[in-house]
Amino acid sequence: MTETAIEAAALGKRFGRRGKWALRDCALKLPAGHVCAVVGPNGAGKSTLLAVAAGLLKPTEGALTVLGTHPTEARPRLAYVAQDKPLHPQLTVAATLRLGRELNPGHWDATVAERVVRQGDLDPKARVRSLSGGQRTRVALALALGKRPELLLLDEPMADLDPLARHELMGTLLAEAAENGTTVVMSSHVVAELEGSCDFLLLLGAGRVRLAGPLEDLLAAHTLITGPAGALTGLAPHTVVESRTTGRQLTALLRPAGPLDDVWQTAAPSLEELVLAHLRSPEAPALLLDATATKEAAA
Amino acid sequence: MTALAAVPTAPRRRSRLAPHGLTWSVLRLHRTALYICGGAFVAFVATMIWMYAIGDDARASIGACGSPGSGLPSCLEITERTADDTYRYVLSLATTVLAYTMFPVAAWAGGALIGRELESGTARLAWTQSVTPLRWLAAKLAVPALLLTAGATAAVLLNIWARRDDNPNLTGDWYHPDDFVTTGPAAVTYVLAGLALGALAGLVTRRALPAAGLGFAATLALYNILERYREDLWPTVSRTGDTPSELPRSALQVEHGMVLTSGERVTASRCSVMPDSTCVNDADVAGYYSTFHPQSHFWPLHLVSAGIALAVAVLATAAAFWLLRRRTP
Repeated sequence: MTETAIEAAALGKRFGRRGKWALRDCALKLPAGHVCAVVGPNGAGKSTLLAVAAGLLKPTEGALTVLGTHPTEARPRLAYVAQDKPLHPQLTVAATLRLGRELNPGHWDATVAERVVRQGDLDPKARVRSLSGGQRTRVALALALGKRPELLLLDEPMADLDPLARHELMGTLLAEAAENGTTVVMSSHVVAELEGSCDFLLLLGAGRVRLAGPLEDLLAAHTLITGPAGALTGLAPHTVVESRTTGRQLTALLRPAGPLDDVWQTAAPSLEELVLAHLRSPEAPALLLDATATKEAAA
Repeated sequence: MTALAAVPTAPRRRSRLAPHGLTWSVLRLHRTALYICGGAFVAFVATMIWMYAIGDDARASIGACGSPGSGLPSCLEITERTADDTYRYVLSLATTVLAYTMFPVAAWAGGALIGRELESGTARLAWTQSVTPLRWLAAKLAVPALLLTAGATAAVLLNIWARRDDNPNLTGDWYHPDDFVTTGPAAVTYVLAGLALGALAGLVTRRALPAAGLGFAATLALYNILERYREDLWPTVSRTGDTPSELPRSALQVEHGMVLTSGERVTASRCSVMPDSTCVNDADVAGYYSTFHPQSHFWPLHLVSAGIALAVAVLATAAAFWLLRRRTP
């Protein structure tokens, strides 16, 4: 298995000749074997990044490799589920799985695909058009997992599901992925749904990478502090991501460069606090953490 | 929970001839279209067999007749026989249906075959299996092209067979548009042009309904251009004489007029018949001419028409591949 799942350098994608850049100057390196969350507000470029990685979109500039090769070369080794889960409405569930078998000759695992479908209590003779949103997602996931991919790209996989179905499907997905050592990259704008299931974070904002690295390392690199408002000047050596003043009280998220003064009360931020702070202050410098080396890039 | 247990999990032994891979997927996804085409083909075959069967009767019904005692069949009896009307009407209807097959094929190719898949994202579903976009398009075009070629060829042969001696009183003249197209390979190349133009329309619009409309319109334009300029596709034969000549029915007349003493050919009328500013004085008339296509020009005209339609099909296919290649990595 390849060490790096996705690697991009100076990646940019613009729709139309005069269109807006959906991705710009993206440099990232996602190690294999992780469950990676691609987080960001709507329009941040999450779907574009996944579609480029899936070999469906041509980057306008820069390059991206998947599993050490060009995305189109890696086609048999990766699976992709688009945001709207396109399936043929006229096919039955069984025929949809047959389609997966026919279009993936030599590496189709019918047992996995059927198990995923069976866990959802789906009638294989039911037509796809008669299925609910959650059931469609399950069939789309079955089609993706049946391919036994090394890399699974999921674009907002749980967006239109109720909490129960979301929990159930995420469980199925992570179990299957863990069993085969599949690298999972999933995008979401709901941070809460990723907590506890992901160990790598990629935060995109306005088409650029804002944060990238192992989740624990990213959380450890940040500290949430509260203290008197007047003490803000004393924070100069540290990188302040975001600071808010309520009355005489100051709350800030920062990347400490050394020991902090005693005037500050410190706490470890949650994933949600980390993401929100970065989204609220687009001018904060990006932080790209490697699994081994740490480097701070200037924005 | 137990429902899936009914589905055999072990891969069944499949015959080598059974469609699989992309071929299977194209046949399965467009099963309804396949059934409709199959039904239409069976109906066409049945109609042609019926036409062949009543062919003798139809010919007898337009034969010579006489009063009783003349040795010929009675005219009263002949006029009462309707086999010729049925033969003429049904054959012309079937011919028109065959000549117009390219229109629904183009609309289907644009709408259901390509446009809908691009619109709903199911094309991307195929492209993220182990299938490249170019192979996907190749299968999408090759499978229907093969079936349509086989079907249209069989339909043309059946049509020729049912027309027997091609008596123009029953089957229509060779230059009648629908009869012209459906008695040779043009019927096949027209359908292929419809398929290719529809597919190209699908790739251009990327949406089902506009693609169906655009494919239909493009095919309609091709059909009408080929029909309007058909007589120009091969050099005509010219005949001159002292009197206006009467061409046989089998000739497709393109132009007729007068040859002036200067040698110039004009299509104006004589002043003695219809005096107006453009008329020609009797004294200037040296003779008459007409240009036409004799029946022997059927094959050259037909093959050029078929060739143009085939060239359009090839160009549209190439454009479709080029477009897809440019859009996908």
